[in-house]
Amino acid sequence: MAQNPGRRGFLVGGAVIGVGALAAACTSNEPAAAPSATAPAAPVPAATGGNDAPGTKVVIGFSAPAADHGWIAAIAKNAEAAAKQYSDVEFKPVEPTNDINVQISAVESLIQQKVNVIVMLPNDGQQLNQVARQATDAGIPVVNLDRIFPDKLSYRTWIGGDNYGMGVAAGHYIGNKLKTAGTTNPVILEIQGIATLPLTQDRSKGFEDALKSYGFSVTAKQDAQFTVESGTEVASNLLQAHAKIDAIWNHDDDQGIGVLAAIKEANRSEFFMVGGAGSANAMRDIQAGASVLEATVTYSPTMASSAIKLARLIAQGKGMSDLLENQVPQSITLASETITKENVDQYLPLGFES
Amino acid sequence: MEDISREQSDSSSLLQMRGIVKQFPGVRALDGVDLDVRAGEVHCLLGQNGAGKSTLIKVLAGAHQPDTGEVLLGGEAVKLANPTAAMRQGIATIYQELDLVDGLSVAENIFLGHEQATFGFTRRGEMFAATRKLLARLGHGEIRPSTEVGRLSPAGKQVVSMARALSHEARLIVMDEPSAALAHDEVTNLFRIIRELTSQGVAVVYISHRLEEIREIGDRVTVLKDGRTVAVGLPARTTPTATVVSLMTGRNVEYVFPPRPTGGFGDEVLKVEDLTVPGVVSGVSFTVRAGEIVGLAGLVGSGRSEIMEAVYGARRATGKVTLNGRPVKLGDTSHSVRIGMGLAPEERKAQGLLLDQSVARNITLASLGRYSRFGWLNRKLENAEAERLVKALDIRPPDPNRPIKTLSGGNQQKAVLGRWLVEGRKLLLLDEPTRGVDVGARAELYALVRRLADEGVGVLLVSSEVPEVLGLADRVLVVREGRIVHEAPATELDEHHVLDLVMDATPSHG
Amino acid sequence: MTEVNPQKVSAPEADEQARVEAAAVAPSGPGAGRLALGRITGARHLGLVVALALLAIVGLITAPETFATTSNMVSLLALAATIGVITVGMTFVIIGGGIDLSVGAIMALASVWATTLATQAYGPVVMAICAIVVGTGAGLLNGFLISYGRMVPFIATLAMLVAARGLAQRMSERRTQLVSQDNGALVELSTTRVLGLPLLVYIFAVIVALGWLILNRTTFGRRTYAVGGNPEAARLAGINVRRHTMLLYGLSGLCCGIAAVIIMARTTTGSSTHGDLYELDAIAAVIIGGTLLTGGRGTIIGSILGLLIFTVITNLFILNGLNTSDQLIAKGLIIVVAVLLQRRSLQTAT
Repeated sequence: MAQNPGRRGFLVGGAVIGVGALAAACTSNEPAAAPSATAPAAPVPAATGGNDAPGTKVVIGFSAPAADHGWIAAIAKNAEAAAKQYSDVEFKPVEPTNDINVQISAVESLIQQKVNVIVMLPNDGQQLNQVARQATDAGIPVVNLDRIFPDKLSYRTWIGGDNYGMGVAAGHYIGNKLKTAGTTNPVILEIQGIATLPLTQDRSKGFEDALKSYGFSVTAKQDAQFTVESGTEVASNLLQAHAKIDAIWNHDDDQGIGVLAAIKEANRSEFFMVGGAGSANAMRDIQAGASVLEATVTYSPTMASSAIKLARLIAQGKGMSDLLENQVPQSITLASETITKENVDQYLPLGFES
Repeated sequence: MEDISREQSDSSSLLQMRGIVKQFPGVRALDGVDLDVRAGEVHCLLGQNGAGKSTLIKVLAGAHQPDTGEVLLGGEAVKLANPTAAMRQGIATIYQELDLVDGLSVAENIFLGHEQATFGFTRRGEMFAATRKLLARLGHGEIRPSTEVGRLSPAGKQVVSMARALSHEARLIVMDEPSAALAHDEVTNLFRIIRELTSQGVAVVYISHRLEEIREIGDRVTVLKDGRTVAVGLPARTTPTATVVSLMTGRNVEYVFPPRPTGGFGDEVLKVEDLTVPGVVSGVSFTVRAGEIVGLAGLVGSGRSEIMEAVYGARRATGKVTLNGRPVKLGDTSHSVRIGMGLAPEERKAQGLLLDQSVARNITLASLGRYSRFGWLNRKLENAEAERLVKALDIRPPDPNRPIKTLSGGNQQKAVLGRWLVEGRKLLLLDEPTRGVDVGARAELYALVRRLADEGVGVLLVSSEVPEVLGLADRVLVVREGRIVHEAPATELDEHHVLDLVMDATPSHG
Repeated sequence: MTEVNPQKVSAPEADEQARVEAAAVAPSGPGAGRLALGRITGARHLGLVVALALLAIVGLITAPETFATTSNMVSLLALAATIGVITVGMTFVIIGGGIDLSVGAIMALASVWATTLATQAYGPVVMAICAIVVGTGAGLLNGFLISYGRMVPFIATLAMLVAARGLAQRMSERRTQLVSQDNGALVELSTTRVLGLPLLVYIFAVIVALGWLILNRTTFGRRTYAVGGNPEAARLAGINVRRHTMLLYGLSGLCCGIAAVIIMARTTTGSSTHGDLYELDAIAAVIIGGTLLTGGRGTIIGSILGLLIFTVITNLFILNGLNTSDQLIAKGLIIVVAVLLQRRSLQTAT
């Protein structure tokens, strides 16, 4: 079997080249004919005060998980776009990865390169805490993006979304609407993301608490995987389990595509649905008003742009110009906003492509 | 070793099996078998395939539990609950399909399951030394303990199996057809080893289909038939062959070869010119004519099987092979089959059969194209053809739907031959067609091969048994070290002459 | 299958193996009187049918209003369709003595390739063809590496799994690609119903029927059993084992391409996240269905029954509002129990 390794090597090499060539030849996603394809330019907030004037040169290291989801992809894109805006910022992203070990070594390499500040969205706050602490101890401030480190000594500033708040926003929208319509004992379903994540549990808690204030509760909830396909599978089963539904909250707009497909396949429309995260796609659906999706609650990846801005300010020793303090705050929690048909136009430029 | 000396002083039986019965679903494999083996003797177990020999030795090895009956070892009743228990009692079994691990070294194989280890770390040095000692005792000091077993010849593997038995300090060694895979000089060596063992008081239960071997090495013979003992403790050297064969079969035949045709042969079917398999066969040329049976005589490792495989396209080779004037693509078996060749391979189970499948599916495997149109099978036609062949070949039981693994070796071989009994077959290559086939079934196979030849098929035959080549073939090619060293009509040769030619200057195989 | 009673022989056109085994289980049953369904599924699948029936009873008891509804049954079949088509291909590969770990990834790649804007510009038919061609191509590449590159199937298809997913991510830039409104005809495979069933269920049924016919009624199927049961014997009997092996993986890839069309119709998207861990579900279904991982034995019907058992379990758990962790435990138990039961029923049949 093994007498001819040379030949085998050649075959494998040939195959790899073959696949590459095929991919290069006919997989274009950017034809001139279809302008909708090009990703919208990452949202760049308007300049504020005098802080945007060029200052000391800073090197910002950036580490985030590999995108397996539109939201994460938007994070990376927004961070890069925000950095490009400044002539005094050198942006140093490390290879994105979903492997904890690889992310640790990537951050270690940033420490060795002695960057001025690190912006990090950890794969897991607990597991990356150690290396963030190392950076801080080495005198490199860490801007912690979204998934929080448990140890406050590990980071200078945290900026992130409000998962509990998302649930609250969704709960208020649904509760308010049903209450107004005078529905009693409504059937309210919840399609979660990955159930084991704390963020999912926070979202569910907020949803539950908000509904409680209207005297409602969640009839049934099922977890999916944040993927389109898992959304379809869970939704088609849930639709079978409940012959009449009043409202659905789906935690994530990406998996929501699958949920909507399942709803369409089952030909159901007696209820309304609220999404989560705020993808451009969901916003377009809300704008068109043709599907059951009426609203979505944001968890905006624009936070990455803001994190880069904060990192720059920290490295340059500046504060946020609208605030009195001389330094950037220790913690910034973004509010979860509710997007409906009324205000969707205003949000659409901020939506991320799934 | 103390055990053995005690047994030696005790002249009575080492092993007694009484009234062993073993029932399988639908089959009573053993129906009251008695066996009595003395220390230091070679006790031969004879019987046709299906007589119950394999089941009996599996009971001895602890692999099967008898339904009734008792086993006494040194006069004490023992329970051989599993192979380890049997081994602990000093019973070692060397199976026909050697149970060695090809990827491990000689020493590792010998001590497999009872490694000499400290805290899980094997003590290599000790194991190697012990292995060397065991191999030397078997007269094979040239095998290195570190050699990977997969690289050894069949004879070498057998030596390793025996060394493994000795490493357990066995007082009874069961050998299932140990000579089947061996060439002549290797058999001689095997016998030398067996004599050595018995002189040390070890008893050997020897199973073979070759009566002449039993005469040479055996002390006493027990004959099994249909799961019963039909004769116990016959003297191996003096009991007439006719008596033994009739006990086994109820027929008074041993090797019955069909008569050769009186007329001449047809046109040249196969022409081989300058066939070379690097390192094994060098520049062999010969022809086979229609209706002719050509025998290749030679030792294992002489290149005889490789010649056959190269002709069939199963092995890369250079040279020119033509079948009925059409060049054969070397290295492409499907082409060979398409133009009219067929092979009954040496290792029937490993290379010939789909063991899980029925007799019918095994028979039709090579000719599916005949029963199909655009790939769509006409199963009526296929089944009818299989049924016809099962009848024509007298395969027993005559049920084409029976799983082939339940058939005896002889009947399996018939099915493999049956695979090629379709129109347009021009050349049949038979590699050891009677290995593991009992005496009665052999005669049928011989007759079948001759009948095929008489119908105009050319036959190329390889056999380790010189009498078989001489009796069945029309012309004999003697192969030694990858060359044809002699060619003559079979009638002009005798066994001694061929053996001389075959063995001349052949180094012994290890 | 060993040592089956030889004397029971019924109509010669009945499936030979099923017949012999059925005869062994029910020795007195007259072969001619049995139902057509029984003849196709055979007694060997009795355990699976019983398991499915038990699950159905559990469903009737725990979710009386929702389980036995027509719409739930339709939904079950639609759910099973994607992996079902893949399972058909997987059954061939495993009977042929191989394994294909790349099915989920190939399906994802095919779905992404078919939903790129460049492809979508040509309309739904070209999209479907594109998915099928990509799937088949990737499968053939697997087969080529295994047959002619002499790689171990596990390794070659593992490499394909990783590479195909990577390529899918690259092409989609890790985004979910929507099937555009202009190509809505593709989505209609899931929304249009004929006689109450979505079109994709018919696709599923046709693939299963074709798979069964190819495996049982053609030389290709027969050779698949031979190549898996004893490749050396098959080679020496004149079968081109390498070419056959390559075709088997090509067939599996083809099934992945068809599954990609179904998943595009069901989710209205192509995505590199599609088909995650499908390989494990498909392999599990095949094994539960009684196919030997060592090759040479197995049936399409068994695999499909195995898959339905999985699908029904998921359905039952969601109908009863139980979470996914419990489903995983149940699936694990089912695999173990099914294989143990099968071994027992094989033994009693001998």
